[in-house]
Amino acid sequence: MSGSDLVFYILALMTLCFGVLTVTSRQIFRAAVYLLFCLLGVAGIYFWLNYQFLAAVQIVVYAGGIVVLILFSIFLTQQSGEKLPVPAVSRKFFSALAAFCALALVLVSVFRFSFAESGKRSALVSMSQIGEKMLSPGEGGYALPFEVISVLLLAALIGCIVIAIKTKPDAR
Amino acid sequence: MGVIRYLRDIWRGAVSLARGMRRTLYYFLRPKEIITQQYPDNRLTLNLPERFKGEVVMPHNENNEHRCTGCQACELACPNGSLKVIYKYEITAEGKKKKAIDKLVYHLELCTMCNLCIEACPSDAIKMAQTFEHSVFDRSQLIKILNKPGSKIMEGVE
Amino acid sequence: MWSFQQAAQQIHEWLSERMSAGWALALEMVLAGLMAIGLFAMLGLILVLMERKVSARMQVRLGPNRVGPKGMLQTAADTLKLLLKEGLTPDGADKWLFHAAPIMAIVVSMLLLAPIAFAMDFQLWDVNIGVLYVSAMSSLMVISILMAGWASNSKYSLLGAMRSGAQIVSYELSAGLSVLTVVTLTGSLQISEIIRSQADGWWIFKGHVPVWIAFVIFIIAITAETNRAPFDLAEAESELTAGFHTEYSGIKFALFFLAEYINVFVLCGIGATLFLGGPMPFHIGSWEGLNRIMDWIPSSVWFFGKTFLLIFVIMWFRWTFPRLRIDQLLNLEWKYLLPLGMVNVLLAALIAIKGWHF
Repeated sequence: MSGSDLVFYILALMTLCFGVLTVTSRQIFRAAVYLLFCLLGVAGIYFWLNYQFLAAVQIVVYAGGIVVLILFSIFLTQQSGEKLPVPAVSRKFFSALAAFCALALVLVSVFRFSFAESGKRSALVSMSQIGEKMLSPGEGGYALPFEVISVLLLAALIGCIVIAIKTKPDAR
Repeated sequence: MGVIRYLRDIWRGAVSLARGMRRTLYYFLRPKEIITQQYPDNRLTLNLPERFKGEVVMPHNENNEHRCTGCQACELACPNGSLKVIYKYEITAEGKKKKAIDKLVYHLELCTMCNLCIEACPSDAIKMAQTFEHSVFDRSQLIKILNKPGSKIMEGVE
Repeated sequence: MWSFQQAAQQIHEWLSERMSAGWALALEMVLAGLMAIGLFAMLGLILVLMERKVSARMQVRLGPNRVGPKGMLQTAADTLKLLLKEGLTPDGADKWLFHAAPIMAIVVSMLLLAPIAFAMDFQLWDVNIGVLYVSAMSSLMVISILMAGWASNSKYSLLGAMRSGAQIVSYELSAGLSVLTVVTLTGSLQISEIIRSQADGWWIFKGHVPVWIAFVIFIIAITAETNRAPFDLAEAESELTAGFHTEYSGIKFALFFLAEYINVFVLCGIGATLFLGGPMPFHIGSWEGLNRIMDWIPSSVWFFGKTFLLIFVIMWFRWTFPRLRIDQLLNLEWKYLLPLGMVNVLLAALIAIKGWHF
């Protein structure tokens, strides 16, 4: 086993362990922190694969954005320091079943796909290539999904402003 | 119009921040402005500000004479009773009784150096000294008698 | 002339002669790690002393002047004191998170150090996405603060952590947008590429108006991101005792303190690299004579000089301005810096497309 493999196994183990801890922890804040480390492990695997852009985006969006928001909302909830109640057996059973089904789905699709070795080393994708693909309307371009997502985000922003806006007392 | 006001706000904010930063840079570049006194080291060359107030004293001249008439204005002016005038009546040359001080007791441990007694004094008998090394081992030593023993009032002070 | 790059090259050759490539790489990694830790310790000592001296001069005081010549050893003595102090863990604290938070803080600072170019061609990791990596890692800085605030089981810590959460999440956007301005002009995220693009002049001169605006926004945003006054609401002494690290003492407090200063150093180093050319000497276009003279000064001197200049500016901010209230802080970001930053990126894109920069 080479050093590179060792790094992969460490990262994979870390991701899996923290993933399991996230769902089994009964303290919600700890669960969120475990989730953070799980996501960081995934980012580490991206770095290991030389997908540096994806890794950085993983950290910015998931670790730096979403987990911070989760932690922040835990701060604002009442009695979040207390231990969560032990879930009922039926709930445990169904969530385990759901997790198993998802795992099966992923495994089936992974095993049905034959990974042909191209013989080429994975080339480092440059940032400008990613940028051009993201905004190109042509073949293999992502301009439409990009725009659709931006419209979705715009709608969410406007919705937030509408909820947060204060009606003036004389407006009625 | 809104845009112009917005930009003007930003400009004004930047200018006012820059003004503050110029002031601190001015002091940063001029070490001579430093006012810290390295006290025990420079005890001999200590440079106290003019308005520093250390304790109340009563100046006496070379004939052991002071200017205090014993009028008690300082005692009345003091907000926390640090000064106490113990007076007596003297018989003057014309045979009249005249008020004079026996002792002017000063409680340094109560004094807040507020300067009100000095302002109240009609004959400028007391003033603020700049001494400040007042620490003693016994609290009773802080009670001071301001007029020296055997002193008397100066000629011509009413 | 002596340079870091040559020294690194010589060590590499010396090691490669004596052992296999794998072991040489491993040993080089260990060496780099040790040097990073050494740099940490030195920076901690120097920056804290610098902060205290600068603040003293700005407040017409003398500052530390007793331990060692001119007080030079004051911070060393403080560090020793912190190391020897008892580390208390408050009752009812979440022990695991409480101990993990300062370690998290220092690890994030260490990760931030990776893409910094300390001299020409002298980097730990010249990653493809350099600047994005730095903004990704600096977005993790807040996590340790949130962890510390939660785990301390103290109201002050919790309030400090909440404030800092709101603050860092917002100011990251401005920092990102101002970085983007230079990235638009350079056309690359890689640190070495950005440095090379400034060989005929630093961006602050070449890129004129949009880069000036971006520079000011960047300085304000990193002041906020590192939780320094006037944006130190997370630790506001006069309101929250010490904010998120109220309950920390001894070595764990020292780690938080060190991480703050390292973050200041790293972000100022990035600022110096983006706007002032980093290790690139002062060059003007094609004035060969001047460029040749400037090249005589080693690039590491240029880098550290510029970085410390920016650190001085940030300290200057700290000792000039009063602390902002939380609503003023968010107003400044969302109503002023962010719109300005967005317009500024468009302006920079226009200039980059039209080639109006020098």
